[in-house]
Amino acid sequence: MKKLALTGLMAVTLVGCGSSEPQVLNLYNWSEYMPQEVLDRFQEETGVQVIYTTYDSNEAMYARLKLLDDSAQYDLAVPSTYYVNKMRKEGLLAPIDHSQLTGFNNMDPELINLNIDPDNAYSVPFLWGTTGLAYDADDVEGEPAAWADLWDEAYQGRIVLTNDMREVFHVGLRVLGYSGNSTNPEEIEAAYEKLADLMPAVRTFNSDAPRMPYLEGETDIGMIWNGEAVMGKEDMPSLEFVYPEEGVIVWLDSFVIPKNAKNIEAAHQFISFVMRPDISALISEEIGYATPNLEARNQLEAEVANDRTSYPTPEDMVNAEFQEDVGDEALQLYNKYWELLKAGR
Amino acid sequence: MERVIARWLPRTYLTLVYVLLYLPILVLVVFSFNASRTGYQWDGLSLHWYESLFNNRAMVKAMWNSLWLALVAATVSTVIGALTALALHRYRFRGKRMLNGMLFVVMMSPEIVLAISLLALFLLIGMQLGFMSLLLAHVTFCLPFVVITVMARLSGFDERLPEAARDLGASDFTMTRTVLIPVIMPALMAGWLLGFTLSLDDVVVSTFVSGPSYEILPLRIYSMVRVGLKPEVNALGTLLLVFSLVMLMLSQWILMRSKR
Amino acid sequence: MTKGARQPFRTAVLILVWGWLLMLVLAPNLLVVGTSVLSRDPAEFIRLPFTLDNYIRLMDPLYLDVFLHSLYMAAVTTICCLIIGYPFAWALSRVSKRRQTLLVFLLIVPFWTNSLVRTYALKLLLATNGLINNALLAIGVIDEPLTLLYTELAVIIGLVYLLLPFMILPLYSVFDDLRDELLLASHDLGAGRWSTFVHVVVPLTLPGVLAGVLLVLLPAMGMFYVADVLGGSRNLLVGNVIKNQFLDARDWPFGAAASVLLTVAMAVLLFAHRLSRRRLGEEGG
Repeated sequence: MKKLALTGLMAVTLVGCGSSEPQVLNLYNWSEYMPQEVLDRFQEETGVQVIYTTYDSNEAMYARLKLLDDSAQYDLAVPSTYYVNKMRKEGLLAPIDHSQLTGFNNMDPELINLNIDPDNAYSVPFLWGTTGLAYDADDVEGEPAAWADLWDEAYQGRIVLTNDMREVFHVGLRVLGYSGNSTNPEEIEAAYEKLADLMPAVRTFNSDAPRMPYLEGETDIGMIWNGEAVMGKEDMPSLEFVYPEEGVIVWLDSFVIPKNAKNIEAAHQFISFVMRPDISALISEEIGYATPNLEARNQLEAEVANDRTSYPTPEDMVNAEFQEDVGDEALQLYNKYWELLKAGR
Repeated sequence: MERVIARWLPRTYLTLVYVLLYLPILVLVVFSFNASRTGYQWDGLSLHWYESLFNNRAMVKAMWNSLWLALVAATVSTVIGALTALALHRYRFRGKRMLNGMLFVVMMSPEIVLAISLLALFLLIGMQLGFMSLLLAHVTFCLPFVVITVMARLSGFDERLPEAARDLGASDFTMTRTVLIPVIMPALMAGWLLGFTLSLDDVVVSTFVSGPSYEILPLRIYSMVRVGLKPEVNALGTLLLVFSLVMLMLSQWILMRSKR
Repeated sequence: MTKGARQPFRTAVLILVWGWLLMLVLAPNLLVVGTSVLSRDPAEFIRLPFTLDNYIRLMDPLYLDVFLHSLYMAAVTTICCLIIGYPFAWALSRVSKRRQTLLVFLLIVPFWTNSLVRTYALKLLLATNGLINNALLAIGVIDEPLTLLYTELAVIIGLVYLLLPFMILPLYSVFDDLRDELLLASHDLGAGRWSTFVHVVVPLTLPGVLAGVLLVLLPAMGMFYVADVLGGSRNLLVGNVIKNQFLDARDWPFGAAASVLLTVAMAVLLFAHRLSRRRLGEEGG
């Protein structure tokens, strides 16, 4: 008995000491957004072990970062554009020390120095991509070409949407002809009404791996991220990706360092590592999203570089709209309607 | 005829429910040896998923973390729980009923209520979410179960024994050690096992009070199963089951030997 | 008081357990209650002034609908567990003592694989290409796969599967105490089987039923991961709402209010449980 108690106490003290192990990089990232190979190679080269934890929405990432703000548990996170802006303004981020980075000059000039983060003082682009329409050609008749086609009654109970508030409303807004970044309460409400009509036909929301409901045979049509479409097509050739007529949703995800990060040096090291053209190319080939690294694009296999799903042509981008920060007031409004939408049956 | 039915109906029913309870676990174990990647059809025998599980360092680490946490949490809650049960059994003190009531409330509380209240506390006192916060949370929800198990054993216990011991000059502590503890040993084992089980099975509380510095299985698995079918999860579930069974047999064996 | 001083062991134990419960149960719960009457702050989670808005919002048709639907799914789960568990516990209490130990033990074994892993195993069974559909298609019962996954039914199946042992164990313990003599006496007094069941068995097992209901109904409202994995984020439980408020929407006061509501529901059930035991005690004595 005494021995047991002693063991318990020893256990506590031992583990208490163990947690301060050096050379660990806590990377907080989207699900399936970094090939394991990259993490392994980084550890081989630098000795820094990457602990990869995942989230499925900007909101969840933001909430958890705020929650663990003081205890400084994350060294690197990957928010979408409009969250970079929000977090930067709220002082949640540590500045990027560009003198510690190598390879930043390879970045596509069109994707740096954006108004969300002038001079990239707080963020470094990781990948960019699009959210478009996907369907299973074996089960869907005809060729859906627009977001509006989702409202077709034939797809009752066969639709998947991403579990992402802004993206789903983007679709609703575009179908009605408004901007996907609308801050106008009337437009947002109209989009809500439109989406509410669609809800009974929606089988599931998925932002961890939107390709999976298609592969599992649960859904036939819906929203998808382009990288997911590329990965999905490998397992299921009948999965088609479409740039919808109303316009595809465009986003950019960037590395940021949380204000209280412990291992800022390793964070910079990791960003530099990912910016290496061979690594960036590897990531883009592996998970199907587009790299902002121009040097890496030159190194891509032709098959990937010419894949319209990953790297859209100018005509694919007609009507495309970049996601922007809509401000806290509009965000609360979106939030309210989003809850209404998901709770309604 | 009626007697035959009366005899066999309950047995058949018991068997049926057990089959349903174990069907998913059986599927899990069988499919952990399945070569197929989609996990739906049988493509032949393979140890591939065990291999890929062991190559997944984060996953293996999370598994050890979980088992370690369950071991420590079960041990700490057994110690505190047994002492509490002894106190409740032997002493009269003010607030005894309230203590009893509080333990009962903890036992009945929905996990999610416990989870957010602990999260709020840890945040307020600025505690880093990691091993310590998980341990405190797990011990808290295991505690009442241990107390009840040990109390049940004590209530069937001859009161004259400890008194005799004290009459012979034994101090409270000595008496507890030499008389009481051997008597409640089986209850301690049962309580420990219950604590271990509860800790290993928990998802809700752990989701709220864990951080990246000490990642345990539920969170790892959660992020995996949300992504889709992952045959590694089958292999992992099988390993957990085997590990726990081995642990249990080991403890039974030790118990049997100590009795002899 | 002097007695306490002479018993350092007793004092130490009481301080330890009271300290633990006050620090880790009472204080956190008071914090939650406190949070539930504060206002949301976008940056710091909570701020003054005090308000009852969070509770008023719970009555908003939107959330009321989520709560009622969650309650409905939890209630169906509880009833299913009771229907399966009641005869099961009875049958279990009738087998020989040695076997009983083994069978009760077998109820606990599944928990060692972690409930998330088991929920995932259910997904393998329920999916459109899953084992149930494949089996039914193969034997020709159905021509088209059934839609099981990501439905309300899938969530209920998951909850019943995970919570059934919590219904069985308290029922088993009351059936185990139910002495044969009582049943025989009732029989000798001329009561038929049905009458014995209604007037003797049911009242005597009622505390077990209520304990089981308590152990199933409330967790069934909180197990958000079942709704996530099997319900496809479409069939929300109160647990999902609370979790979203804390971990996504960052509206702590509202999440705390929802949690207080669950606690109140628990208190009502606990009170009913006590009442039934007390009434039973009076009747018995």
